[in-house]
Amino acid sequence: MVVGEVAVETDVVVIGGGPGGYAAAIRLGQLGKSVVLIEKDQLGGVCLNRGCIPSKALIHSAGEYHKLASLEKLGIQLPKGDVIFQMSTWQTWKESVVNQLKNGVDHLCQANGVTVVKGSATFLSNDRIGVETGGDFETYKFRQAIIATGSRPFTPPFVKPDGVHILDSTDALNLQEVPQSLGIIGGGYIGMELGMAFAKLGAKVTIVEAADKVLPQTVASLSQEVLKQAKKLGITIRTGTKVEAVSVEQAQVTLNILTHQNTREQVSVEKVLVTIGRVPNTGEIGLSQAGVQTDERGYIHVDSTGRTNVAHIYAIGDVTPGPALAHRASKQGVVAAEVIAGLPSSFDTPYVPYVIFTEPQIAGVGLTKEEAEKQGYRVKTAAFPYRANGRALATDEKEGFAEVIVDEQSHLLLGLHLVGADASNLIGEGVLALELAARVEDLALTIHPHPTLSEVWLEAAEAVLGHAIHIVNKAKVLQ
Amino acid sequence: MVEFKLPDVGEGMHEGEILKILVRPGDTVSQDQPVIEVQTDKVNAELSAPVSGVIQEIKVAEGETVEVGSTLLVIRTGEAAVSAPADPAQETEKPIQKAAEKRPALPQTSQTTQNRRSLATPYVRQLAREMKIDIERVIGTGPIGRVTEEDLRQFQQGSSKPSTPDISLVPAKTEPKSASVRKAEEQVAATAFAAPETSSQMRVERLPLKGIRKKIAEHMVKSVTTIPHVTSVDEIEMDQLRELRERLQLHANKRQIKLTFLPFFVKALVIALKEFPTFNASIDDASNEVLLKHFYNIGIATDTPDGLIVPVIKDADRKSILQIAREISELARLARDGKLSLDQITGGTFTISNVGPIGGLQATPIINHPEVAIMALHKMEKRWVVREDEGVIRWMMNLSLSFDHRLIDGVTAVRFTNRIKELLEDPNLLFVEMV
Repeated sequence: MVVGEVAVETDVVVIGGGPGGYAAAIRLGQLGKSVVLIEKDQLGGVCLNRGCIPSKALIHSAGEYHKLASLEKLGIQLPKGDVIFQMSTWQTWKESVVNQLKNGVDHLCQANGVTVVKGSATFLSNDRIGVETGGDFETYKFRQAIIATGSRPFTPPFVKPDGVHILDSTDALNLQEVPQSLGIIGGGYIGMELGMAFAKLGAKVTIVEAADKVLPQTVASLSQEVLKQAKKLGITIRTGTKVEAVSVEQAQVTLNILTHQNTREQVSVEKVLVTIGRVPNTGEIGLSQAGVQTDERGYIHVDSTGRTNVAHIYAIGDVTPGPALAHRASKQGVVAAEVIAGLPSSFDTPYVPYVIFTEPQIAGVGLTKEEAEKQGYRVKTAAFPYRANGRALATDEKEGFAEVIVDEQSHLLLGLHLVGADASNLIGEGVLALELAARVEDLALTIHPHPTLSEVWLEAAEAVLGHAIHIVNKAKVLQ
Repeated sequence: MVEFKLPDVGEGMHEGEILKILVRPGDTVSQDQPVIEVQTDKVNAELSAPVSGVIQEIKVAEGETVEVGSTLLVIRTGEAAVSAPADPAQETEKPIQKAAEKRPALPQTSQTTQNRRSLATPYVRQLAREMKIDIERVIGTGPIGRVTEEDLRQFQQGSSKPSTPDISLVPAKTEPKSASVRKAEEQVAATAFAAPETSSQMRVERLPLKGIRKKIAEHMVKSVTTIPHVTSVDEIEMDQLRELRERLQLHANKRQIKLTFLPFFVKALVIALKEFPTFNASIDDASNEVLLKHFYNIGIATDTPDGLIVPVIKDADRKSILQIAREISELARLARDGKLSLDQITGGTFTISNVGPIGGLQATPIINHPEVAIMALHKMEKRWVVREDEGVIRWMMNLSLSFDHRLIDGVTAVRFTNRIKELLEDPNLLFVEMV
């Protein structure tokens, strides 16, 4: 292997073709830069191939399957006999969804003049990067680089995923059959989403979480609604409980757990899924050769333009500290690309929404009530329940509520959060409202189409002002 | 109720000028949220609210000079606010709890949430970046103080005025005109329309002498009226130093350090200062004593959008050329951004004014009182010089040294200059003298 003999020159290399990397590459192409996008596996990254998209496909199928049981009261008589979920068939459908999206990304890269290179990248210096593709080695000389290598599931030392009995989220989405029983280590959003999906598909699910509640980063009033549904689905949730050891014997996995009462128990399941967290992929790309520093956990710190400590090298997405969310990565990617092209862009918004695809869904943006008060705001809040929304009743999705948090004095919207059907789509309005620095009156005075779930925002906003139409207001109507 | 008084933000400061008031009566502020910008001895200090609460009253105005200890504003604290008579609309909310829950914040919002970010739509933020305006400094006139496109334009016009004070002197018939000239003329025309003035008044724009400019003015008058200045000029052959710097630059580049000539000048100067202690001194006028300083803090005169600022490289004798180079870049950047701390611009013992990169042959620099000398370095250029009775072309640079004749005599000054000249003309000597 001869390094650096002839280097291919390009304006920018983007390392990693996930939602951050490909967005950056396409924007760079649009801005007239020559771009090499290096991807060692599949365009679209974890999001498209092993994360957001396939998991939503599973959650959708599970939801549809689960609804069958409640169709009778809606007037639908299914023929007698068991309805079967064929996970192997689902795999085929999932593949077609993923492939369609992947081809789309590929096509867009081509249309914008992005050169996609398959291989593993390693920085050789602060202006050269090597790419190894099946034994071949090519060197690229760049003016700027964007590191977008993403993250991978974290697995604790006492448990090694084997892809058969001990699974990470990727393995779980590649199963050909729904397991009889499934243990999940980690009750964060990935654990809860997949746990509820598999429970709907018939698995006996046990979720073990070390913190004292599942979805530990979500406000209790929101996650409460999810817990109710989890209970209905027969999911066993063990909070304050640590997994001390995992062993596999005769196609059974045994979890040795230490409960919150300090007693030791064993839980036996067919498969176990580990969803404890994610770690950045920054160890194997030769960052030190480029002079790019990481912190002790491997994250690359960047400024609001995405610049690392090396001024012409940028980092975006899961390799930077902050929530590992595709939409954050995409925005960072676009900003970095524009900054490289000389435009005055900046990732300067605190309004990164979160969406959790549990049953029901949770979504939110901006401050929670507690955070706002901590920052010294005097707040007014009001919530509007789904059960008072006509559409929610007509579609048999009456669980959940929407909550609006505003500054008491100015009525500036500070945060919007909701739990309920389609929360992930409904939060878009909230993000826009916060970005436009809207007052709660702006929300309340806007006509929301009827009958839709979006009316929950209208009503919650009116409730803050003391004059919601469809609930009895606690406060008197302002004169 | 908390009265917020002007604190002593720097050594011995007794007054400050209110540059900017960032809050308005009725605003809710949180503890440590910036509320007022004051200007003290060349430093802009941002004062933060000592407690959370609501601004009850603001007792000062922008542009006003106030003494340490005077009340700036009155904050109604959270407790007081809660006990205020409740209005019916408040019944929906619960009494404020003092952040009882220790639950970690949602990472989605905590990462980038800043306290009291200014209100503006994403488009206006983008526009502000394009106009190179720090949106946090703009007072919004939209709903709840939201910054609008119009506010940005107003802000830009307001802040660009001082930098084009002479524009109204441009004869009206000159063509073609830039947009800013036309704008200024329109302003002049508007003024004329509003209140008829004599033509000579129309050609003069009155700007308040304030902030850093005012400090510079006061400082210069003090120096010139106290110190009998003498300036001595010499020229230095730079060929060897140029060669050396070029070589070392490659090395410095590897460490991402921009290596200019300035660090070499600083090093040579410090060596000469150690040999000529009266140049690293000050005069205590009150006690009629000379203070010889055994530390070498070199001020670097730096041009900023607001005016001259002199950040100081502390203990330059104990730093390597690369360390000095790195520090100069950093200080210059902070100076340009107006982010220098008081500590970074005080305690100097000698000042260098490196105007050479801009141009100029020689000068009579004014000493940075209470220091006793200042060295200005001028343009480097190829000159025809005589060496061993032959005309040759050499890279030459002039150096102007102003010194305090109360303490230093002409002969000493020339010897001091000779020593610096010797060190710079044969930079190998720098290494011989290095500690």
